[in-house]
Amino acid sequence: MLFQDIVQDVVFWVLSVAAIGAALGVVLVRDLFRAVLLLAGVFIAMAGFFVLLSAEFLAVVQVLIYVGAISILFIFAIMLTRNVRQGNLPNRLQIPAVLFSTLLLAALVVVATSTEWNLIPDGAKTGVDLVQTQSVNVLSPEALEVLERAGALSDEERLQAEKAGLADLLIGPFVLPFEAVSVLLLAALIGGLALARPPGRA
Amino acid sequence: MYGSAMARGLLVTLKNLVRKPFTIQYPEQRLKQHPRFRGEEFVWYEERCTGCASCAKYCPLGIIKIVTSPSETAPKEGDKYLLEVFDIDLQRCMFCGLCVEACPYDALFMGSGFEEGQYSRENMVITIDQLRQSDKHPSTWYRPQLEAAGYMPNSGRPLGWREVGRESWRWHQGEKAGMRLAQAEGSSPVKDSEAGSLGSQPEPADRASADGRSEDPA
Amino acid sequence: MFTSHCGESILRENPLFRLIYDGASSFLPCWLSYLIAGMVIMLILVNAVLLGAAAISWMERRLLGRFHNRIGPNRWGPFGTLQPIADFIKLLTKEDLIPAGADRIAFTLVPIFMVLSVILMTAVIPFAKDTALADLNVGVLYFLAVSSLTAVALFMAGWSSDNRYALFGAARGVAVLISYEVPVVLSLLGVVMIAGSMSLGTIVQAQQVPFILVQPLAFFLFLAGMSAELNRTPFDVAEAESEIIAGYHTEYSGIKFALIQAAEFGGVLVVAALITTLFLGGWAGPFAEYLGWLWFLLKTILVVALFSWIRATYPRLRIDQIMGFCWKVMLPLSLINLAATTLEVFFLPDSGATTVEQWIMVGINLPLALVCVPLFGRLMREKARPGSSPAGARVVPGVPTIESS
Repeated sequence: MLFQDIVQDVVFWVLSVAAIGAALGVVLVRDLFRAVLLLAGVFIAMAGFFVLLSAEFLAVVQVLIYVGAISILFIFAIMLTRNVRQGNLPNRLQIPAVLFSTLLLAALVVVATSTEWNLIPDGAKTGVDLVQTQSVNVLSPEALEVLERAGALSDEERLQAEKAGLADLLIGPFVLPFEAVSVLLLAALIGGLALARPPGRA
Repeated sequence: MYGSAMARGLLVTLKNLVRKPFTIQYPEQRLKQHPRFRGEEFVWYEERCTGCASCAKYCPLGIIKIVTSPSETAPKEGDKYLLEVFDIDLQRCMFCGLCVEACPYDALFMGSGFEEGQYSRENMVITIDQLRQSDKHPSTWYRPQLEAAGYMPNSGRPLGWREVGRESWRWHQGEKAGMRLAQAEGSSPVKDSEAGSLGSQPEPADRASADGRSEDPA
Repeated sequence: MFTSHCGESILRENPLFRLIYDGASSFLPCWLSYLIAGMVIMLILVNAVLLGAAAISWMERRLLGRFHNRIGPNRWGPFGTLQPIADFIKLLTKEDLIPAGADRIAFTLVPIFMVLSVILMTAVIPFAKDTALADLNVGVLYFLAVSSLTAVALFMAGWSSDNRYALFGAARGVAVLISYEVPVVLSLLGVVMIAGSMSLGTIVQAQQVPFILVQPLAFFLFLAGMSAELNRTPFDVAEAESEIIAGYHTEYSGIKFALIQAAEFGGVLVVAALITTLFLGGWAGPFAEYLGWLWFLLKTILVVALFSWIRATYPRLRIDQIMGFCWKVMLPLSLINLAATTLEVFFLPDSGATTVEQWIMVGINLPLALVCVPLFGRLMREKARPGSSPAGARVVPGVPTIESS
């Protein structure tokens, strides 16, 4: 419906401005504390994008992990560092950093624009009124099938497909990265324990 | 600490939930204070005060301000100074009672009230008029003569200046502490009927031991 | 979600929503009437949280008073019920101070974020049959995600106050918060496994037997964990009133402080509502279709009283005791609970959906809990340290020695 399209566009643009503004602020703001807060703002804006894409699970997980854990990591780094109020000091790597970031940006833009995204054609939108792009839900073949049937997809089934997709993939084809990540977490835990040990103990 | 100790702690609190509370609903009910309670007010007997300003000298905070006008006659033994200003600053007073201990003439007593809160800082200074007009229910702090007489500031009647001094112990025969009484006021020492209204007159043996007690360092 | 048909939401059976929606859609476009109906219910929720915070502050003060053998506030209004209003008026008329070196924007945003996270939490709680503002499919996860916003707000409060005691309190508070998220999440997984879904409405309906019996370990862990996350005694090192002045909210006065307190008590209310939903059966009870809200309210008040009871009983733990409790007691217990529940759900044919199977799980889990908690308590007991003199020192008679603790 027209109103929903307008609302989606407005929300998209607001979120985009917020995300890009916050990201620019993270880099340009002098005060490190505010930079971390703006970074948390970027993460929340990303969660908003996930909600727009009808991936509530990913949005909630994004808030839980990024805002709830990674921002806290940054916060602890600030709290335990002295002289942190001086902010970012200039160093010799500025020019190479600018070059590298521009190259990275160019690469990402080229890849994003030249990929064949499987968009639902405009005509079929009235039928499938829940999913906008398949790029999030394409993870499991069953979801693809159901979507191509273009029937009315109820919320539970769709989420089932989405979540089942993630879970199936994690335990199925992507089990090696999953286990590798858990080993990495174990290594981080052990490293943290070793660092936090009081000196002089065997 | 965990396990059964947690549960036992919770049961203790639960038992206290159903017990009657101990709260006293101030200001409708008030706790009775001990007779030696050092309250927030002062009882001053102008008739006994000579203006020596010992209280002001003893005060550790220096909050007592005494201004006397010079005597018009040459000071003779027994004459009193005329007091113009006698201010006690309640904002700083810690109610230690050293001024009461200092007074050689038993003119200053601690009061027994504690509701002296005021709404402005100016009102927190006790002036000489307030001291004159306050009701005289002296606390028995550092005044063993009042304690020996069994005086209760909460429930007793206001005391006059003849009844509160140590003269009943007859330190000085025929002479009040530092006061030279004109003969017209009565030649008998205070151990007459006026002191008896305070309570029972202590026996000579008690009086002697009371003397001994009073010489102990405070 | 925006992409759904208007009028299609969990609230469609709710009489209030129906009333407003039907009334408004006769002369307004359907999206506007959906918006208005949703907004009305949202306003009711927000007001309920803030007023509930005030009501709980009264209830807690009276209860704490009776636990302490004294009466609580009883001067304002009958039984002191107007005391929260008096407190609010007093806080409103106080001077609103911002420290000179403070980060003004962050300092002012903190109370807003705290209240925001509490109000956001209420969006998924089912108060009665078909009455949740948004019965998300990931309700439990949403709740945990929003409660982790509190950590960021806490740090903001501590850092932007330009006060090292506030920073100490905030550092402790954030450390406690993130540590206790781990056993809380793990203990909730058991509940989610038995109910088969993360949606809170489904969890309420899956409770043939209240989950407090089916998952007693999870209940204990969730209760302790959320007490820590709400900074309530015995875990309130972040705002320890007698230790570091007032911790992270030292520099807050006036309406900002009132909002922080409202966020704290509102958090207690919302967590109690969540505990009711997850463990006590939510709105279930006799005549649940009509009186569901009443049972929900009564159970929530009971859980809040439980929080007050715990606060009145236990002394404050030290920060190292709190961390030890989390990592050495609660994490193993949560893993034991998870393992036991996984095995049960795996081997029972219906995966714990029917009453019989839930009673079987009660039979296994309840003795397990009653055994494990004292066992871990015994393991965690602080041993008395043997004498503090170095090895080999002689004790000279007449010289005072330091007594061993």
